[in-house]
Amino acid sequence: MWKKVFDWLDERLGLNDIYKNLLDRPEPKGNWWNTLGSASLFLFILQGVTGIFLTVYYTPSPDHAYDSIQYIMEGVAYGWLIRGIHHWGASLMVIIVFIHLLRVFVTASYKYPREMTWLIGVGLLLATLGMGFTGYLLPWNQRAYWATTVGTQIAGAVPFMGDFILKALRGGPDLSALTLQRFFAAHIWILPAALTGLVGVHLYLIIKHGESHFPTRED
Amino acid sequence: MNDETKQKINERYQKELGRGEFFWPDSIFKDLIVSLGIFIVLVLLATFIGVAPEAKADPADTSYLPRPEWYFLFLFKFLTLYGQIPVIGRIEWLAAVLIPGIGIALLTFLPLLDKSPYRHYSRRIFALVFMAVVVLDIILLTVMASLPAAPNAQELEISTRLQATGGLWIPLAVLALLAALFIFRRDVYRESTRRSLPIWITVAGSLAMVAMTVVVSARAAAYPKPEEVEVASTLVDQIFAGQDLYSVQCVECHGDDGSVAVIEGVEGLEGEEITPINSRDVLYTITDSAMYEVIAYGRPNAGMTPFGKTYGGELSKSEIDYIVIFMRYMWDDRFELPPEALKPLFPRLADGEVPSYDVHIAPIVKRYCISCHREGKENNNYLMTSYEEVLTTGDNVENNIIAGDENSYLLQVIQDTPIMDPEKPDEEMIGVMPPSGHLKPDAIEAFIRWVMNGMPETAEDAAELSVVPTPETTPAP
Ligand code: HEC
Ligand code: HEC
Ligand code: HEM
Repeated sequence: MWKKVFDWLDERLGLNDIYKNLLDRPEPKGNWWNTLGSASLFLFILQGVTGIFLTVYYTPSPDHAYDSIQYIMEGVAYGWLIRGIHHWGASLMVIIVFIHLLRVFVTASYKYPREMTWLIGVGLLLATLGMGFTGYLLPWNQRAYWATTVGTQIAGAVPFMGDFILKALRGGPDLSALTLQRFFAAHIWILPAALTGLVGVHLYLIIKHGESHFPTRED
Repeated sequence: MNDETKQKINERYQKELGRGEFFWPDSIFKDLIVSLGIFIVLVLLATFIGVAPEAKADPADTSYLPRPEWYFLFLFKFLTLYGQIPVIGRIEWLAAVLIPGIGIALLTFLPLLDKSPYRHYSRRIFALVFMAVVVLDIILLTVMASLPAAPNAQELEISTRLQATGGLWIPLAVLALLAALFIFRRDVYRESTRRSLPIWITVAGSLAMVAMTVVVSARAAAYPKPEEVEVASTLVDQIFAGQDLYSVQCVECHGDDGSVAVIEGVEGLEGEEITPINSRDVLYTITDSAMYEVIAYGRPNAGMTPFGKTYGGELSKSEIDYIVIFMRYMWDDRFELPPEALKPLFPRLADGEVPSYDVHIAPIVKRYCISCHREGKENNNYLMTSYEEVLTTGDNVENNIIAGDENSYLLQVIQDTPIMDPEKPDEEMIGVMPPSGHLKPDAIEAFIRWVMNGMPETAEDAAELSVVPTPETTPAP
C-alpha cells in the first residue's frame, strides 16, 4: 500500500531523483566546522518565522511602534519568547555567519571551483548585516533612534553622494515616520527577498560543486 | 589557472569523495544537532535574559549617548580613534567610507586576488596571519567600545592614547610589515625554515594588542559606572515610576494627590486658583495625548512651566507617559488600579518601633517634600534629597531638627504650627509644611518618633533603639 502511494508520487514528483541528488550525495569526510553554513540557514529560517509572528502585532509608525512592541512583550501570549528569540537570533546569526566565513577562509574553500560560492557569500554577509541595521530601528526606542541617527550620518559622509544617500536612507533630512517605514520595508521585504535569492544560489552551488575537503599537505 | 591544474584539483577531490561520507545521514545528522543546540540556546537566552527594556525614542534628548548594535561597535570605535589622528582625522569619509569599502572589496574579490591553487595552511601563511590580525583587532575594538567612558578629560586623553596604540597603530604596523614582507621578501613565507618569521611577528603584535586592551580595561574598571536608566516595563512599574516622577515634579503645585485647588508656598503662584487635576473635570475632558501635551508644554500663561525636554524641561517622552499612566490609574475612576500597585508608602510602625531614614522617612520625603526641597526652588535653602542634606541644610538648620526635641521646627510645621519670625512676631517665617494639605497622621507620627529617637539612618540603627513593648496581659474575656 505505502509502496503504491510512494510510487505514484515518485512518478509525478521525482522523489527518488530528489533523494539521489540532494540527500544521497557523497561528501568528503567532514567535521563540526561544516555545520556552520546550515546553522546560518537554520537561523535565517528561524528569524523568518519569528519575524512573521512579530509583524502580526508590530506597527511601523513612530506613534505606535514602541507601544506595539510593549504589547507584544506584555499582552501577547508568548510574545516575549518570540521577540526574545528574534532578538538574540539576530546577534547569533551575525556571529555564526562570520565564523562560517572564517572557516571557509581558513580552509581556502573559496578557491577553484568555488569562487562564486564565496562571492555570493559576501552578498549574504552584507545582507545579514543590513538586516541587523534595519531591524535595530524598528522598536523605536532611544537606543534605536540614536544609533540609526549616527549610522545614517556615517553613510552621509560619502564624498559627493553623501547627502543623497543620507536622504535616501532617512526619507528626508531627519529621522521620521518615513525612515521607519523605509527601514521596515527593507527589513521585511527587500533584504529577506535578496537573502532568499542569494541563499538559493549559494546552496545550488554547494550541491553542484560538493563540499570541499579539508586541505592536507597534498593541497 | 591552467586546465592541467584544474584537472589535478578535480581528481584530488574525487579521491577525497571516494573515502568520504554521505550527506544523508552523516552530515545532516551533525547539522541537525547544531541547529537544535542553537534553538535551545536561543530559548534559554529569551527566557532568562530577555530583551532589555529601553525608553521610547525621544528626538529632543540629544544628551543620549548613541550606541550601535554590538556587531557594529568595532567600526564605531575605529572611527572615534581615527578621528584623533591629526590632519587626516578631519577627513571623515576616509575612515567612514574608504577603509570599510576597501575591506569589503578585498573580501569580495578574494578568490580573484588569491590565485594560487594551494590550499594547505602551510602554503597560505600570509593570508592566514593577515586575517588573524584583522579579526583580533575587530574583537579588541569591540571590547574597547563596550567599556565605560572616562570620567574626566585627562583620563580620556590617556585612555584614548592607549586604545589608539592597541587598536589602531600596532595592528596597522603589523599588517604593514606582513604586507611589506609579502611584497619584497616573499621567500620568507615560502621557505619552511624561515616561515616562522611572519608568525612570530604576528604573535608578538597580537600579544601587544591584547596587553594594551587589558591595560585599558583595567583602568576602565575603576571608572564610575554610568547611571542605569530605569525603564519600567510592566504596568505596575510604570505606575510607580510615574508616581516618583510626579512626586518630584508636580507635588509642589498640585499636591501629592492632585487635589490642590489653591496653590500655596510656590514662588509667584501664591494663592493661584487651579482646577484640581484629580477631578473628573480634568481627567474626563483631557485625553491621554492632550495630557501628554499639557505636561510637555506646560500651561505657560497660567504659570505651569513646560516639563518636556523638547521645551526645556526635565522629562523624557517615556517619563511623561509614565506620569499620565500614574494619573489615570490613581485618580481616573474609569481605570482600575492593579492591586499590586497599592503598596503602602512605608511599612506600618509597631508600638515602640523606631523608624529609620532609609525605610520610613526617605519615602515620605520623596513623596511629599522633595518637589520643593531640592535645588532651584524656593525653600529657605533646605534641601531634602539625602540623609545628610535633611540634617545639615536650611536657613534655620540649628532649629529644624533637634534630636529629642518636640519643638524642632520641622515637627512644628508638619503639625500645622507655623514658626513666627522672632523679629516680626506677626509674620510667618516658616509656613506649615507641606504648604497645601496635611501629611497623613501615620507619616507625622513617623517623623515625630524619628526625631525624638535621634534620627537613625539605617534600619539596623533604628532597630537598636526600638523598645519591644512588654505584651500587655489582656485578661481573657
Ligand atoms: C509651578 C507650578 C506647577 C507645577 C510644578 C505643575 N503644574 Fe500643572 N498646572 C499649574 C497651573 C497654574 C495650572 C493651570 C490650572 C488651571 O488653569 O486650572 C496647571 C494645570 C495642569 C493641568 C490641567 C490643565 C487644564 O487644562 O485644566 C494638568 C493635567 C496638570 N497641570 C498636570 C501637571 C503635572 C502632571 C505636573 C508635573 C509634571 C504639573 N502639572 C506640574 C501649575 C503647575
Ligand atoms: C509647595 C512647596 C513645599 C513643599 C511640598 C514642602 N515645603 Fe517645606 N518649605 C517650602 C518653602 C517655600 C519654605 C520656606 C519657608 C516658607 O516660605 O514657609 C519651606 C521651609 C521648610 C522648612 C524650614 C527650613 C528652614 O531652614 O527654614 C522645613 C523644616 C520644611 N520646609 C519642611 C518640609 C517638610 C518636612 C515637607 C514635606 C512633608 C515640606 N517642607 C514640603 C516649600 C515646601
Ligand atoms: C546567510 C548566510 C549564509 C548561509 C545561510 C550559508 C549557507 C551555507 C551552507 C549551508 C554551506 C554548506 C555547509 C558548510 O560548508 O558550512 C555553505 C558553504 C559555503 N559558504 Fe556559506 N552561507 C552563508 C554565508 C556565507 C558567507 C558570508 C561566505 C563567505 C563570504 C560564505 C561562503 C561559503 C563557501 C565558500 C562555502 C563552501 C564551503 C565548502 O565547500 O567547503 N557563505 N554556506
